[in-house]
Amino acid sequence: MTGSLFQRFKGIVGGKQNRVPDLTTRFKAFQAMLDGNNRTLEAMTEMGEKLGGDYLFDINYIQSAYARLLAAISDSLSNFTRLTDNHYPQLVAILARIDGQVQRMLASDGSVSNRLVVIYPEITWDLAAEVGGKNYHLAELANTLHLRVPEAFAITTAAFTAFLRHNGLEERLNGLGQADSTTLAQLRGAILAGGFPDDFTAALSTTLETMRSRLGRNGTLAVRSSAEEEDGEFSFAGQFETVLNVPCTLEAVQAAYKEVVASLFQAGATSYQRQLGYDLGKLKMAVGCVAMVEAKASGVIYTAAAGKDRSKMAISAAWGLGKGVVDGLTDADLYTVTKGDKLQLVERHIGGKAQMVVNCGAIGIETRETPAELRDLACLSEAEVLELARQALTIEEHFKTPQDIEWAMDKAGRYYLLQARALRMDDPAEEEAFRNQEPAPTDYPVLLRNQGVVVQRGAAAGKVFILHHLNELEKIPQGSVLVASHDSPHFVQAIPFLHAIITDVGVPTSHMASICREFNLPTVVNTGQATALLTHGQEITLQAGEGSEFVVYAGIVQSLLQKERQTGAKLRELYEFRRQKYIMRHIAPLNLINPLEQEFSPEKCRTVHDLIRFMHEKAVQALVAYAEVQGRGLARFFGGKTALHRLTLPIPVQLLLIDLGGGLQETASKKEVDFTQVGSVPLRAVLAGMLFPGVWQKEGVALQGRDLLSGMIRAADITNGGDGLAGYNVALASREYMNMSLRFGYHFNMLDSYCSDKPRNNHIYFRFVGGAAAITNRSRRIALMAQVLAEHGFALKAKGDLLIGRLSGLNRQEIEGILEQMGRLIGYTRQLDARLDSDEMVSILARRFLAGDYHLEP
Amino acid sequence: MAKHSIMVIDDEKIVGDMAKLSFEQDGYEVETFLNGESALARLVEKPFDVVITDLKMKGVDGLEVLRTVKKLYPGIKVIMITAFANLDVAIEALRDDVHDFFPKPVKIKELKASVKRALGEE
Repeated sequence: MTGSLFQRFKGIVGGKQNRVPDLTTRFKAFQAMLDGNNRTLEAMTEMGEKLGGDYLFDINYIQSAYARLLAAISDSLSNFTRLTDNHYPQLVAILARIDGQVQRMLASDGSVSNRLVVIYPEITWDLAAEVGGKNYHLAELANTLHLRVPEAFAITTAAFTAFLRHNGLEERLNGLGQADSTTLAQLRGAILAGGFPDDFTAALSTTLETMRSRLGRNGTLAVRSSAEEEDGEFSFAGQFETVLNVPCTLEAVQAAYKEVVASLFQAGATSYQRQLGYDLGKLKMAVGCVAMVEAKASGVIYTAAAGKDRSKMAISAAWGLGKGVVDGLTDADLYTVTKGDKLQLVERHIGGKAQMVVNCGAIGIETRETPAELRDLACLSEAEVLELARQALTIEEHFKTPQDIEWAMDKAGRYYLLQARALRMDDPAEEEAFRNQEPAPTDYPVLLRNQGVVVQRGAAAGKVFILHHLNELEKIPQGSVLVASHDSPHFVQAIPFLHAIITDVGVPTSHMASICREFNLPTVVNTGQATALLTHGQEITLQAGEGSEFVVYAGIVQSLLQKERQTGAKLRELYEFRRQKYIMRHIAPLNLINPLEQEFSPEKCRTVHDLIRFMHEKAVQALVAYAEVQGRGLARFFGGKTALHRLTLPIPVQLLLIDLGGGLQETASKKEVDFTQVGSVPLRAVLAGMLFPGVWQKEGVALQGRDLLSGMIRAADITNGGDGLAGYNVALASREYMNMSLRFGYHFNMLDSYCSDKPRNNHIYFRFVGGAAAITNRSRRIALMAQVLAEHGFALKAKGDLLIGRLSGLNRQEIEGILEQMGRLIGYTRQLDARLDSDEMVSILARRFLAGDYHLEP
Repeated sequence: MAKHSIMVIDDEKIVGDMAKLSFEQDGYEVETFLNGESALARLVEKPFDVVITDLKMKGVDGLEVLRTVKKLYPGIKVIMITAFANLDVAIEALRDDVHDFFPKPVKIKELKASVKRALGEE
């Protein structure tokens, strides 16, 4: 499959690029890419729905649904490659890699990589299954979050399989089914007596040599399990053996490895596996070998205190090794930190710490009496607590769920993270309420019902947070129900804090919708009236079913919440179900959120969803860039099929229009056309705004300057085909697309928009640069524009006198409305600098503008 | 009243597992089988109230299950689910008095409604 995928792209990437495609060709590629993206998102949505627990599905379904998805994303990618002249060749390899992962899962073969041993810095996301959850998470802390983790390496599931095969144990694992304790004991014995295949021994020896050189002769390792799903959805906490203080020698590590592997079949562990729906013998175990930290103190952090309060985190600490805390041996210190705006240490309990676990080198570890002078002494200072809390918060934000983190501090006072796994949350208060026979939902008033589209089913409750601006996302309190006029992929940053999302407008195939499904966040879109009917701070319960079946109750309906938890938990415990759903991990999650960040690079694309997002963003940018380049060279237009026209406007602006098809109404074949002939939906909207009475400040315009004249072009320039278009006003337009560059003196506006009946395709990209006035006035103008754009929901970036705004996913009418406002803003702000002599004026004028008052007088 | 019993036959474990979980939640008693042979052997011992079977399976397939059930217990309703929707097969199944015929993926809610109809509860 991977090979064939490469074949598909060979033709595009290969040497058939003699001719530079003209803009029309590129534009067609752009549209075809949008179409591919849509089909991909639709396939993704369908798979998400069918694999969500409401359907009985089988492998045939997954295979055919995935094939459709792959075909769609491949189409998308080939058009994107065409559009950008193969500017991002990495994407093909990334898609091939994702495809490889999915195909492997579909073939039910978890490990095909032949890497037996991998050091942590080399653990990449696609090795997650091979190195197991525990190794993967810990490596991620170091590799992605740049937090301190001890030197370590992973022995993969491929090594596990090789070990079993070498010792003829594979057969014995098949049909282990209901094996009794004698059979299991024999199996453990066989593992402990087992030998190692040569390649395994060789790989391990090489890595151990590296470890010895880094840790010194006395360095030792903790050898512990990292089963496939461990520290993922299920904790397996304490189920398997951990061997501490293992010297970095081949013999010692191999012996410890066998002990850990054998523990897969010890009594407690086997019943746990059965409970989770594993067929005994199916679970593959990777092993982690992590350098022991000479711990002065260590402990555990729960980023949600007591496993339920997400506003606080709890940090425990004791002297010596963490085993004392984890096993509950000693009365540890307990620090409570509130998360809020600023991390704050609010409570400190200094434990008695009568005993401590110490590392005694070759003899192993030992529990000793804590020296008297240390017992009542706090293990951590306030600054140290806050530093640990800060790191913990970073980890929680990264994994998007509360974490259970083990840490240690060495003699030099450096922190090391030893483990991070999802914290299983519980809420005894709610269960208690349920037992006390909470009233049925019928006793609660209904606020909203069945008017909208359910994106993710489920029941959830919380306080309503009505979002007006994207910048309020950071302020959303834990456990809120986000209510917004539109959906937005930016919501993902708030998802850890949300219990549900309800929007007035939205589609079930948006980026946001896929994210909500991925996170199982109950979500309803397109209710038309949620922001009007629900009030900020109000407590509500959402019960979302299928299609358009949902109810919003006033108040917290405990009975619904309880039922929801029971069903969800049982379903997640079905191993096969989880396994199939894991395929979606390579498809649906969105890691690339903000196109303005450094992270927005091809290398960061991990999933199909990332690819779509990346391609869309870069395709828009590419189109803009090509439009700009071609706008500067007239000759090309006459070589291609595009037609250049001069637009007559009732305002003193001259604008050239390049018709990409449907940009003008059919009759417009003349060089000079009246603005009323414009057929492009987005361009008409912008022009309507620019021509709005009062927006064009005639009285204040300094006509003697280059301000307006720079926009003028004589007919001779066009007919001569001279390439002097730089600095002139140019609009490229098709029926649904426009890209317009407008220059007024030193102000430069670039507006790019797609405005169609498919909200997901629609976008507005706006860029503003320049201004001849003093820098403070220029910044003020940027501030004013930013205020207005923010009001319309743009994601903004401003730097100096550069402002970039992006907006997407709105329906046609909304885009038109905003473009009209943009037209007004462009006209209005042409010569604003001079008026902006104070910061107060920025807000005053922004408010006036939003209220439709375009006077500039103070 | 005794619980109604459902037999689920599908060569993919996930189908049986999910069906079992879903129907048990509604108070049914569910037994799952990965092939037609073991299911038919069990049927001889115990008449279930409803049989849900996959069509395409190695060995004894869904149509054979249907015919055998009808021979043994004409009153038991059989619901067939299949990933390979095929009109000829559907007609053949109908001739053999199949109660319902669903393409996979099948919405669990619809399957539950069908079981209720089969039991005359709706």
